[in-house]
Amino acid sequence: MSSNHSATGEQAKRHRTEGPKKHVVAFVMSLALTIIAFAAVAAGEINTTFTYIILVSMAILQVFVQMAFWMHMKDRGHLFPIIAIFAGVIIVFTMVIMALYWVWW
Amino acid sequence: MSAHDHAEGLPHQPETATLEGRNKILGFWIFLGAETVLFGTLFSAYLALRHNVMDGPHPSELFQLPMVFAATMILLTSSLTSVFAVQALHSHKKNAMVGWLLVTILLGLGFLGLEIYEFSEYVHEGHGFTTSAFSSAFYTLVGFHGAHVAFGILWIGLLILQIFKKDLTVVTAPKIYVSAIYWHFIDVVWVFIFTVVYLMGKVG
Repeated sequence: MSSNHSATGEQAKRHRTEGPKKHVVAFVMSLALTIIAFAAVAAGEINTTFTYIILVSMAILQVFVQMAFWMHMKDRGHLFPIIAIFAGVIIVFTMVIMALYWVWW
Repeated sequence: MSAHDHAEGLPHQPETATLEGRNKILGFWIFLGAETVLFGTLFSAYLALRHNVMDGPHPSELFQLPMVFAATMILLTSSLTSVFAVQALHSHKKNAMVGWLLVTILLGLGFLGLEIYEFSEYVHEGHGFTTSAFSSAFYTLVGFHGAHVAFGILWIGLLILQIFKKDLTVVTAPKIYVSAIYWHFIDVVWVFIFTVVYLMGKVG
């Protein structure tokens, strides 16, 4: 790992360059979460409510992984992106709950 | 490899080197917040209407999991290749960056082709846009996502042409960065589509 690090450092003219490793880890995590979700449905033996809980948890986990690593939200100086997305998410939750539980069902 | 040829004087993270670049990224995040709301409305409409199938096919008999899984893998991989493009941008490797962007576009085209094939299959099985409230909500939600993929392909394609014309500078770098963020966002939306539409539709 250290040899890999020095090689990329050399090419980036001594700047600290992040390696592809953490993005590959994020990819493998996303892959695993996707496969768990598909497998839970393909198995078809589990009861519906429990499957729903698995599916939604896997989706939320995967979105956190992708936003943190690939959209760089865990990096420095990302307070405003986090505020923007969370504002959107809060509106979405209000809207979905209102539309479904209050107005529709 | 002539990685340094175009990199003279370019800062380490060229996308945030200027105030204009930083503002562009901030503005884009606000746009993504609005996009979240847009897809939220489409999801809530779909969730409300998904059991209203009338005479049309039910989601559990319509959806084919292997095809959805293939589409998911293609889009997930394209998200990884676009983050590799941003890493190449950070180390000023223009050719590597353009290469990864091209791979991203190709995977995006593959995803879009699969979706078009899927939609045409559904229409053959009697699941048209006006068949039922479920089918209208389904095509609107998934079609909107597909339109975002198509726009992303066009956008990144034009950016590649601009990179060849204007080279990698502090002006063009924020555009590449922002388009990569957009591409990840499309992938994030797809995570909810395959979960809520396809997998929950299959469960019932």
